[in-house]
Amino acid sequence: MDNSTTYIGEHLWIGYIGNAFIYLSLLSALLSAVGYYFNSKEVLTSEWKNFARINFSIHSFSIIGIAGTLFFMLFNHFYEYSYVWQHSNNSMPMEYILSCFWEGQEGSFLLWAFWNMVLGNILRKTIDEKWEAPTMAVFALVQVFLASMLLGIFIGDYKLGTNPFILLRENPEFANLPFIQIPDYLSKLDGRGLNPLLMNYWMTIHPPTLFLGFSSTLVPFAFAIAGLWKKDFTTWQKPALVWTFFSIMILGTGILMGGAWAYEALSFGGFWAWDPVENSSLVPWLVMVGAGHVMIINKNRGGSLFMTHLMAISSFLLVLYSTFLTRSGILGNSSVHAFTDLGMQAQLVIYVLTFVLICVVLLIHDKLIRVSYLMASFLMLFWGIMHGHKITLLLIWLGASLVITIYSYVKFFPKEEEEEKLYSREFWMFVGSLVFLLSAMVITYFTSIPVLNKLFNLEKAPIKIADYNRWMIPFTIISLLLIAITQYFKYKKTNPKQFLKHISLSGLAAIIFGLSAVIPLYFIKDYSTSSNAVKWDLISYALLFISALFAVFSNLDYWMRMLKGNIRHAGASIAHIGFALILLGALISTSKKQTISQNTSQKNVSSLGENFNAKKSLVLTIGDTLPMGNYLVTYTGKERKGIDVYFNMEYYAKNKDGKLTKAFSLSPMVQDNPRMGQASNPDTKHFIGSDIYTHITYADLSDTKTLKADAYKEPTNFIGHMRDTIFADNAIILIDSITTNLTEEQYSKNDSLLIVTAVLKATDINGKIYRATPQYIVKNNMVLPNEFEINELGLKFIFWKINPNEGSIEIQMSEKVSNAKEFVVLEAYMFPFINVLWLGCLVMVIGTIVAIIERRRINRLKTH
Amino acid sequence: MKKIHILGIIVIAVAIGVIFTSLQSSASYSDFAEAKANPDTEYHVVGKLNKTAPVLYDPKINADECSFMMYDNKGIEKKVVLHKSVPQDFEKSEQIVLIGKMQGEEFHADEILMKCPSKYNDGKPQV
Repeated sequence: MDNSTTYIGEHLWIGYIGNAFIYLSLLSALLSAVGYYFNSKEVLTSEWKNFARINFSIHSFSIIGIAGTLFFMLFNHFYEYSYVWQHSNNSMPMEYILSCFWEGQEGSFLLWAFWNMVLGNILRKTIDEKWEAPTMAVFALVQVFLASMLLGIFIGDYKLGTNPFILLRENPEFANLPFIQIPDYLSKLDGRGLNPLLMNYWMTIHPPTLFLGFSSTLVPFAFAIAGLWKKDFTTWQKPALVWTFFSIMILGTGILMGGAWAYEALSFGGFWAWDPVENSSLVPWLVMVGAGHVMIINKNRGGSLFMTHLMAISSFLLVLYSTFLTRSGILGNSSVHAFTDLGMQAQLVIYVLTFVLICVVLLIHDKLIRVSYLMASFLMLFWGIMHGHKITLLLIWLGASLVITIYSYVKFFPKEEEEEKLYSREFWMFVGSLVFLLSAMVITYFTSIPVLNKLFNLEKAPIKIADYNRWMIPFTIISLLLIAITQYFKYKKTNPKQFLKHISLSGLAAIIFGLSAVIPLYFIKDYSTSSNAVKWDLISYALLFISALFAVFSNLDYWMRMLKGNIRHAGASIAHIGFALILLGALISTSKKQTISQNTSQKNVSSLGENFNAKKSLVLTIGDTLPMGNYLVTYTGKERKGIDVYFNMEYYAKNKDGKLTKAFSLSPMVQDNPRMGQASNPDTKHFIGSDIYTHITYADLSDTKTLKADAYKEPTNFIGHMRDTIFADNAIILIDSITTNLTEEQYSKNDSLLIVTAVLKATDINGKIYRATPQYIVKNNMVLPNEFEINELGLKFIFWKINPNEGSIEIQMSEKVSNAKEFVVLEAYMFPFINVLWLGCLVMVIGTIVAIIERRRINRLKTH
Repeated sequence: MKKIHILGIIVIAVAIGVIFTSLQSSASYSDFAEAKANPDTEYHVVGKLNKTAPVLYDPKINADECSFMMYDNKGIEKKVVLHKSVPQDFEKSEQIVLIGKMQGEEFHADEILMKCPSKYNDGKPQV
């Protein structure tokens, strides 16, 4: 690069401001962490506290500053900055500026840091003074790590973080491009813009919600760490519980929004695909739900101390781990939407391991062990950086940390003397939390297969969706049964007879309604013809169905009979009903998902495996009408709007009089995305009872209108023998016979006119036969041009060559442009009762909000 | 024995069960030779599309089937029959992973994952 070039129109000052904010945010977070650390050690208390608070305020201010600077750049299209150029452009509508803010890695780290900052400030204002220092120290430390992700400075050869404010011409990706030589390159430059695939409202609402969910896991984590640190294992749980509920609600909403986005706009053919990126947000949620429940146990009868700490801590650590999975590039082939590797693998590993280290250190009560563990950890880190063997060292360290954790738990951690009774609420809630934790572990294990491959040099392929489902259904059944029964137990002790009396109504109802639903759903048609593996699936679906109904009925019953319909205390019941409805909706819509675009021409290949017999694609030619499920579908043509090509499908259904009337139309779209290639976008008709989902899997996106329909296309040459066939777009042509006016002898004697006639029989789609007689005419050894046209079919033939040695003739055929009818290949599904799932989401969120309000009310009552 | 210990044992048993069965049953990344040696086992074969050979897809004959030639990571070329419609932007793929079984000399796949070069059309600043 020529350093002497002076560029025109660059706004370098704003980059300096942005970077100043980054350094300031890092420094102030660090100072705040140090301040809170000493404050919690009760050294010079008030001074340190003020110092820490001021620094956290400076940090908050600088995070807002970074975000504000980036927004300002995006609004004003400062393309001299790489991030602005990569994610926005001139033609972008204003509402997508927000989306470009978090489209890139740097922006999403910033979003995360922003939410942490917001929650940190709320926490600081609302928290009991005793807990401020230790929890805020954790917050500040997390912010140190996040701010470091935005640095983008080199330490030796290692780049720490990626900076959102680097200049386009300094981005190594674009080094040595011609624009660098042009001083006023900015006057002619437009940004690359947001990936068109992400230009929808989901991209505006999903990332902020999900990242707020990720941030929210930090609060219970900070409390649990504070508890370990201060060796006060119980009093933090009361204030933390509200935050745990909040986290469950927000993270849950974020995950479900992701599912809804996938269902509405992507062509997965469903709302959940067990993609590693989806899993890694589900797992922290499962653990957070478990944490919330053990915390409730602790509040009501004490105990479960180790589990509350373990789960509150794990949820956040799993968020970190999922950040590592999705941003380090390690998932590679196994995920469709992981970020690409920005070379931050080592930094992310250090980030995760630092917090694991802190947890283990705090668990160790013996000073000697603690010091030696810390020393050994640093030695190993140092050794790994200098001499390699990183993976071996990592495994040894993880093993040692696990052993020390177990040892510390056995040796130092307070344990309950009294055992929970079998007929007690706390026992079954504990079991439920354990089931959630265990299922989270199983999903994590499956998702981590690419990591295990790397650690142990394996070649294991990722787990398939069907196997995930098979593994998770038993966990789901158990948790639903626990959800159904547990509220009917009282804390400490319950009268078994009373319990049975209360539960029997909803149990009976679930069995009656459940059986009458599952028998027609799964057993009448499907069961007897299925393989053994599928039979097990059907049985597990039936059990899941009945347990979900049981959970809905019993929680409804509990709310109505036990709580007498009072909404204030019903948060748990409502959330449980929602959760059960989600699973019920997911079960019915997935297991009874019907492929209505059945391809009838396919040969049966089911011998290859259960997935192979899936006939799912349908070829629909323009103007044709084909049956699809209960409908008749016509493809009426395509329409291009910018880079989006819409394919219009009209669905007809029989009305009451048996007449065919138009029911609705769908326009699935294929985006001719200049950056991502072709992307298929489904279109779905929503009914109360079911959804009709259609997406295009293959289509010609080119505009046929530009070619004249009446013109002939370029001819194609066919070399054929007698009785051969030629395939045209609208007919099958048979070479029926060849006749000549002369015998060979006459021809060799006489060099006058030779006419050889090929008799062709063209059969059109309706079976009508047309005759064509193109002639090969030789006069005085010259071939005379001669053309035969079948007007009705729009076909032209030229018989132009005879190969006597091969006994073949050559015919050129041209077809009219309009003969080649345009077609699309599409897949269409019917998802029954998917609205039960969305209703469940809504109900669960409402239930959680009710619980949060109630919890806050009680906390306030107690303090006054 | 306390109930908590029983729960602990169940948890450990499930964990071992998960690890064991997943190691047993889950497919491995492999190549055509191994898939051919075990025609009943499902494999994930990683390789590259032979871009000089045609990708055959005629939806009018069968919309759920396409075929092409692929080199596995050992450089062996085999015909692949994919029981799906032809993937979008197939010819731009940099690497493909097929999930399926070998049948004679053909590899029959029911699932395909494509890796496109991450920046193949990301665009560069142009003036």
